[in-house]
Amino acid sequence: MATVKLRSISKEFGASEVIRNLDLVVDHGEFVTLVGPSGCGKTTVLRMVAGLEVITSGHLYIGHVLANHIPPRDRGVSMVFQSYALFPHMTVSENIAFGLKIKKYARSEMLKRIDWALNLLNLQGLESRLPRDLSGGQRQRVAFARAVVVEPEVLLLDEPLSNLDATLRLKMRIELKRIHKKLGATIIYVTHDQIEAMSLSDRVAIMHEGKLAQVGTPKEVYNAPGNAFVAGFIGNPAMNFFNGKIVRRDGGLFVDLGKFELSIPESLCKKCQSHLAREVSLGIRPEHIYDKRASKIESLPGNTIEMVTDVVEPLGDRDIVQVNKDGIHVTLLLDPEIETKPNKPMTIVFDMARCHIFDKETEKSIICTPSHGKTLEEPLLSPLE
Amino acid sequence: MAEKKIGKGMTSIGLWIGGIRPTKVIWFAGIVMMLLMVLAPVFVMVKYSISDRSSVVTGGLPIPLWPYHPTVEQFQGLAAMDTFVVSAFTSVKVALLSAVISLVVGTPAAYALVRFRFRGMMVLATLLISARLFPDIVSVVPIVETFIRLRLVNTLLGVAMAHALLSMPYVIFIAMGVFETIPRDLDEQAQVLGASKWHSFTRVMLPVALPGLAAAAIYVFLLSWDEFILAYFLLAFGNVSTLPVLLQKVLSWTPQHNLLAAISVMLSAPVILFTFMVQKYMQTGATAGAVK
Repeated sequence: MATVKLRSISKEFGASEVIRNLDLVVDHGEFVTLVGPSGCGKTTVLRMVAGLEVITSGHLYIGHVLANHIPPRDRGVSMVFQSYALFPHMTVSENIAFGLKIKKYARSEMLKRIDWALNLLNLQGLESRLPRDLSGGQRQRVAFARAVVVEPEVLLLDEPLSNLDATLRLKMRIELKRIHKKLGATIIYVTHDQIEAMSLSDRVAIMHEGKLAQVGTPKEVYNAPGNAFVAGFIGNPAMNFFNGKIVRRDGGLFVDLGKFELSIPESLCKKCQSHLAREVSLGIRPEHIYDKRASKIESLPGNTIEMVTDVVEPLGDRDIVQVNKDGIHVTLLLDPEIETKPNKPMTIVFDMARCHIFDKETEKSIICTPSHGKTLEEPLLSPLE
Repeated sequence: MAEKKIGKGMTSIGLWIGGIRPTKVIWFAGIVMMLLMVLAPVFVMVKYSISDRSSVVTGGLPIPLWPYHPTVEQFQGLAAMDTFVVSAFTSVKVALLSAVISLVVGTPAAYALVRFRFRGMMVLATLLISARLFPDIVSVVPIVETFIRLRLVNTLLGVAMAHALLSMPYVIFIAMGVFETIPRDLDEQAQVLGASKWHSFTRVMLPVALPGLAAAAIYVFLLSWDEFILAYFLLAFGNVSTLPVLLQKVLSWTPQHNLLAAISVMLSAPVILFTFMVQKYMQTGATAGAVK
């Protein structure tokens, strides 16, 4: 198992810069997910680590070795492609054996390892099948088996679950977590699905337009998003954002949303002082807004608004409810026990202790200063430099 | 119930009659005429090849539409005719050799054109295919001239090389189509798993491309099999000849129609047979990449 360090990595395709100055350290045995909307450059990063894409500038270390110019086959990495890329003319066993044969394992050792991989991924009995005779889920598992059987230093997974149907995806997610626990492998995982990212990873690296927006544990990025992009990207349904201005009233600070004012709790006031009378963006998650009838917190003038329900989406375990008034739209999650009907007045209570406030211009959080993942411990060993 | 049934029957008959529109009739007539034009020579050839002597030499009477006494004696005669058997084998050897040459050279070229993007690639691809822009007869002089210097005239290798030259653009074109349909992921996956580019090409790309390349091989085989002009100029003054050259030689000593027809049938049979067999791949090869 190896540590992977990316140090001010940039990638240009012709004139366009797709990755800008990316710094990331993936510890040995760690499961880190690169997540972001399509086109944010996450797959490019993975392909650079695999050696399939040339790094324009910056340094990539796998273990303690500068890997920029090492060809893919000598990097000690394995990769599972989104398309699985199974060799169609080889049986399951032959597919799994492909890497072992090249690495010249002894025959007995090879058979042992293939057996181990078949067992790990529950592929027994399918050894002599061709990929075209397998279901999507089975193909997926063969691709995994082929990747782990060579004992890679680093396992790279490029949206491996995106071609599976929803049920199978959930199953494979659990399976993947189990495999990671068993192997203790360093895994870099790419997905656009934030739920997948949150549920699988030790740490999540959220990418936006070729840059890292934030790196942190799933809890960190959920509870303390460092900027509006991360706040809006993580969480489902997405966070509510309101444009407003911080104002002082009766000794306390409020966010003035035009028609309403919401009071900033005392604990956050100090951090908001600097933005007094400035434009901000107030963010609050749907799960932190309550119907007054079942509010977990006390309803006060500074956190309560009268609105009208618009759309109700019952999901069984919870209802997603849209309410609006005066051009302000709010999404909230409600307990289905409380009856909610469209076009009825509703009093909603904001849990302002859990709100987020972002600078309107920089989009950075005023109240959370996230630890930007792991800092690069200097000096890095770089024998080839 | 009964009324309903009649009603249904009526509508379906009505539709059936209504379905035959004048445009359809014209289309249909056109297709029949096309078929006649294509099949009439084939019919004449087959008819002659199984004709007995009295159906060909009629002494002024019109030649019958179907031979009086159909026979396979012409084919038996061919089998016993040394020059025919030798020429047939020569043709097979030349065709196989040219298929091998053009595939060995053309396949890697096609792979490189598809996989490695480089400056001037389109120019190179166009140049490679441009050999087909000229009529074959134009290339006869330079090829024969060159081959005389290389001492390749009157040799199987010479004809095979000339044929490979003619078929190379097709091989490259078909193989490019085949490689384009193979996802790049396979290549990259092989490399990540430890394969060199060459290993990945020989162990992954080639086997996957094999059915398509087989189609290209058969195509080259057929092209060589019935190629006449270059074979004629390269072999005309020697002892060996391919089947089309033999046919020309036989023609020049005023033979019987039925013998000529039998040689023609033997020449055509493999072409027809193989074309049916590889038709599927030919279409795949030609359209691959178009839908991407």
